[in-house]
Amino acid sequence: MKNPSLGEFEELVLLVVAAQHDQAYGVSILEDLEEKLSKKLNISAVHVALKRMEDKGFVKSRFGGITSERGGRRKKFYIITAFGKQMLDQQYALRTSIYQQIPNISFG
Amino acid sequence: MKPKPPKYALRFLRWFCRNDYLEEIEGNLLELFEQQYTASPKKAQKQFVWNVLRHFRPAFIRSFKLFQPSNHRAMLHYNFILAFRNFQRYKSSFFINLIGLSSGLACALLIFLWVQDELSVDKFHANDERLYRVMEKGYSSEGIYTSFETRGPMADFLREEMPQVEYVAAVGPVSWPGYDRLTLSIDEKNVKAAGQYVGKDYFNIFSYELLIGSKDQVLADKNSIVLSEELAMRLFDSAQDAVGKSVEFQQEREFIVSGIFKGTPARSSVQFDFVMTFEALKDEKPWVDSWGGGGPLVFATLREGTNVEYFNDKLEATLKERFGDDINRVAFLERYSDHYLYGIYEIGVRVGGRIEYVRLFSVVAIIILLIASINFVNLTTARASRRLKEIGIKKVVGSGRKELIFQYIGESVLISFFSLMVAILLVALALPTFNEITGKQLALGFDHTLIVSALTIAFSTGVVAGLYPALYLSGLRSINILKGKLNMSSGSVWARKGLVVFQFTLSIILMVSVWVVHRQIAFVQNQHLGYDKDNVIYFPITGRLNGNEETFLTEMKKIPGVLNASSTGHRIVGHNWSVGNIEWEGKTPDDETGFEVITANYDLLETLGVEIIEGRSFSRNFGNDTTKIIFNETAIEAMGLTSPIGTTVEFYGEKEIIGVVKDFHFESFHEELKPMCFVMQASINRMVAKLQAGREKEALAGLQTLYSNYNPGFVLDYQFLDDDYQALYVAEQRVSTLSEYFAALAILISCLGLFGLAAFTAERRLKEIGIRKALGASVVNIVGLLTGDFTKMVVVAIGIALPIGYFLTQHWLQNFAFHIDLQWWYFAGVGLLALLIAWLTIGLQTVKAAQVNPIECLRDE
Repeated sequence: MKNPSLGEFEELVLLVVAAQHDQAYGVSILEDLEEKLSKKLNISAVHVALKRMEDKGFVKSRFGGITSERGGRRKKFYIITAFGKQMLDQQYALRTSIYQQIPNISFG
Repeated sequence: MKPKPPKYALRFLRWFCRNDYLEEIEGNLLELFEQQYTASPKKAQKQFVWNVLRHFRPAFIRSFKLFQPSNHRAMLHYNFILAFRNFQRYKSSFFINLIGLSSGLACALLIFLWVQDELSVDKFHANDERLYRVMEKGYSSEGIYTSFETRGPMADFLREEMPQVEYVAAVGPVSWPGYDRLTLSIDEKNVKAAGQYVGKDYFNIFSYELLIGSKDQVLADKNSIVLSEELAMRLFDSAQDAVGKSVEFQQEREFIVSGIFKGTPARSSVQFDFVMTFEALKDEKPWVDSWGGGGPLVFATLREGTNVEYFNDKLEATLKERFGDDINRVAFLERYSDHYLYGIYEIGVRVGGRIEYVRLFSVVAIIILLIASINFVNLTTARASRRLKEIGIKKVVGSGRKELIFQYIGESVLISFFSLMVAILLVALALPTFNEITGKQLALGFDHTLIVSALTIAFSTGVVAGLYPALYLSGLRSINILKGKLNMSSGSVWARKGLVVFQFTLSIILMVSVWVVHRQIAFVQNQHLGYDKDNVIYFPITGRLNGNEETFLTEMKKIPGVLNASSTGHRIVGHNWSVGNIEWEGKTPDDETGFEVITANYDLLETLGVEIIEGRSFSRNFGNDTTKIIFNETAIEAMGLTSPIGTTVEFYGEKEIIGVVKDFHFESFHEELKPMCFVMQASINRMVAKLQAGREKEALAGLQTLYSNYNPGFVLDYQFLDDDYQALYVAEQRVSTLSEYFAALAILISCLGLFGLAAFTAERRLKEIGIRKALGASVVNIVGLLTGDFTKMVVVAIGIALPIGYFLTQHWLQNFAFHIDLQWWYFAGVGLLALLIAWLTIGLQTVKAAQVNPIECLRDE
């Protein structure tokens, strides 16, 4: 199989998952992203991104316990995998290395 | 109270979303909803719906297959295992079901084959839709009569006057006396075969396949004969060589073979080996070409698109135009292939025929299948208590009612398919006997219709049998089942009893009917007919016997063992020669009384043992008796003559009445006694001889020797009159034999069910029996206790069945002009028999149960 790619929005979600380590679930990710990006997002976009990344092996999931909140539905927590982390590192290294090649440009 | 999101949106989400993501998505949506709800309920609702819709995308939509295959396949497999284990565990009820259902199915299959065959008779003709028989409706003093014979010239009349007629042919049919065993000879070789005289377009009308010759030409020449392939092989050893050769017919006349046809299929109601031209018959019997002489049959095909009712009106009008308005009979057309099934007319209206037997047996087949299904229902519900735990557990684990119903129906369909396999085996074994009884050539050809209908019958039997247990058992409450609180509701017990009663009612009705049919047939056969049919033989006058009749007769009487001998032109038993042109003094012009005429030689009345009650018989002592006539009582009454002897009547010249004979049954007992007369006539074609009882062999040997003196190399081809008489009742005989088998089968299957139930009850009440015995009950007490219930059911069944049986049999007997009166003891006897059979069936079980040692059945507690 081809090395799985990481889309732009997926990368953002993956970053949030990594940041909220072990406590990331749909709504928390959504809220964090909305705050950071300062724009409205739809929860379905987050769900799709999570599903795809889980299929690609960047994240794995576990269910939390049952509470009286959320209509008794369990939360599904996402954790970044080693492969996911490696992907993030690669992306980061790639961007940094290119960024550092930028000559000093002034926009006077 | 917690805020509620829009119900429909939630339901929609649950419906489309895949299970492994549903909880996460639903939870997150609800959490968002609850958050927003505090700010603005309306907005939250809208947002929730929007969010749900946004999730309606391929990533989250579940797969919509009708069945979740894996689970269902597993359940199916599991149900199969369960079914087989159940069969193994309860072998007796499995075998009772298997035997009952398979014999029921075998029976239904046989009847199906027979019915299918009956319905297809004569339907193979290519022009079937347009192929008609010309019938006659006449008016006589006794009312309207219908005849399927007509007059020879009718064929020409139709051809010339009715433009709608495509082809028409007159036929001197094979059903005429002696035509089924005519002699064809080539050199020294003689072959007996069935033949008929047919009009030129016969092969254009009927689809008997011509192998050699063209439809239009084979019968063009008067002296043509067309042979069946088989007959040609017998005569010439080759069909090809036969064409153009000449064949001697009845040692009288030469015919030239002009064509070969394939032979008549088994599904043709008419069976013949060769045909000659109707023109040739006109030479031999000029009366067939006159409007006065009845007898020939006429068949026609109408042009495409002709309405037969319109045609019949037109035909009547044309006939009236030609013969005047006051003609007393008119012709009409009847679909040829209908005649076989709907051949009986009363007062000019079609009232039925063989179709009644077809319907009767179809009903019998359904009844037997029903009885077998009832066994299944009863045994399954009765034994349900054994499987209650299984049902309870299944329900608790999550099986729905639908699954349970499917499981039970599936199980019964499985049994019925097993039974079908056994049934097919049984049918294959029984088919030869069945063919012998029905006189058919049925075969178990696995054609499309048979397979489909066999599967349909088996499947529907399975569903019907399984439906009640399935619905009943699946409807029980699992909590009651598992707590052991279940007491079989009285409703189900009643249902079971009701079914047993129903089953026995049907069986007893069948038994009563069979008994009455049997009695009626015995009555007919032992009835004094007014003449003595036993040991009377007849044979055709052929070859050199012609012209030497008198000497032959004289010599014949000298043979030891021959009591008397005579000759006649008719066959005596059955329909002879009916005429309407006898005139007597005082006859009113509109009187159209029909007479049956038998031509007789001297001594015929004595040979047959017909009793003279007035006057004298034909006798040589009174000179020429050819101008004399003898009537039966009915005829004298119909003519209204007070002193008949010496009166003259007009019938082909003046005839003086010299005697009156006591009425005798020359036709079947279906028919009323008809007016008839004997006339002396020279043109006679068969010898009749009365043999001495016990010396038949000797007499026949003597006759053969004498016959050979006249016709060297020929075998005397004689028939017993008694056989002809039996042939009148062949349909009843078949019905009687068949219904005996079916009734026996019905009662057997019913008893099988009763046996199963009795065994089950005895087993269930084993502890009760043990305690009763320990407390001092005797074996007789116990047997009485166990039998009582069943006895009541059977008695109720008898009570219902006997009146119905009485009504039905009474109705059937009305078909016979002469029939037995129903006696009370027929019914009492059958009732008692049914009770006895039931007792015998359950007796075995109950006595065994009653003899049990109390210690053995009480020990385990």
